[in-house]
Amino acid sequence: MAMTISNQRRDPDQLSPFTVAELRRGFVAALPFILSNGTAGAVMGLTYKGLGLGFAQSVSFSLVVYSATAQAIVVSLWKLPLPVVAMVVACAATNSRYLIMGAHLRKMYGVVRQRDILPTLFLLADASWLMATADSARNRPDPGYLLGTSLPMAIGWIGGTAIGYACPGAAGIPLGKVAAMLPIIFIVTLLPSQWRGYRTAGPWMVSALIALLCAPFLGASWSMLIGGGCGTLVSALRSGDA
Amino acid sequence: MRNSEITILIVVLGITSYAMRAGGYLLARFIRDDGNFARLLRLAPGNLFVAFVSAGCLSGGRPMLIGGGVALATMAITTREWAAVGAGFLAAMIASSTGI
Repeated sequence: MAMTISNQRRDPDQLSPFTVAELRRGFVAALPFILSNGTAGAVMGLTYKGLGLGFAQSVSFSLVVYSATAQAIVVSLWKLPLPVVAMVVACAATNSRYLIMGAHLRKMYGVVRQRDILPTLFLLADASWLMATADSARNRPDPGYLLGTSLPMAIGWIGGTAIGYACPGAAGIPLGKVAAMLPIIFIVTLLPSQWRGYRTAGPWMVSALIALLCAPFLGASWSMLIGGGCGTLVSALRSGDA
Repeated sequence: MRNSEITILIVVLGITSYAMRAGGYLLARFIRDDGNFARLLRLAPGNLFVAFVSAGCLSGGRPMLIGGGVALATMAITTREWAAVGAGFLAAMIASSTGI
């Protein structure tokens, strides 16, 4: 994701308003996400069904973890006994981008009452952060707008998971294959947002090569972390964000 | 696999995800947008994704390669995640069921 940082920032000590009007405006602007997130959420619901999870567990996953990327990665690591440490490390690593987004929001909004911002951050998503950042360049930054854009995305994702799981047509689908394929296809769709030009190619080749070399011996989870870690180090040793 | 294990996993992953979301906001005074740590965090996801996809394609074989390729192409053309997931998934399922 391109981290476009808005220049419009508040005085860090100024209390930022949280208005219902902006919440409503953000909600309306993000309404299409109910459909798009709902579609992806439905496939995630099917995947959980394929893994043998119950309905309540599947919906809880999307509600409590609420991260399509992390959930897809965790599903791909699913085996018995559950590799909990690898799953938590992978979840933290893939969601580390939220640290930057959160830090940026603090600088964009200034001081916000914790009762307003902490529930809002629970629903923070890539797209809602982008929408709020873009909007702050045109209008007065208001955390209500961020919450408003986040709500349809959450409704789509969580509701989609429930609908996908309950879908009667799922009986004819080989769910084991769904569970194996979906996470990889989902992550593939995120790759273009991470591409920073030709300088990205080198570190990405290192990541892929190390992962391929490690996979036969260490399994998917550790090969991903080791390969991705090596590629990140190569990227970091070079100048620029590639 | 016991239900309690899955419940604990969901709670732990939920806390981890929320810690990332709220942590950046709460620690903003210590993280500079242009600092090395911030840069490392920006670089990590793309490299992790590539490593993940590579290992996944190795184990998934040709159907996974075809599905991934179709998803990537659809995403590049439409920039719509849901369309790319649907097209890639459909391609992988067809390739798998037809034995390509």
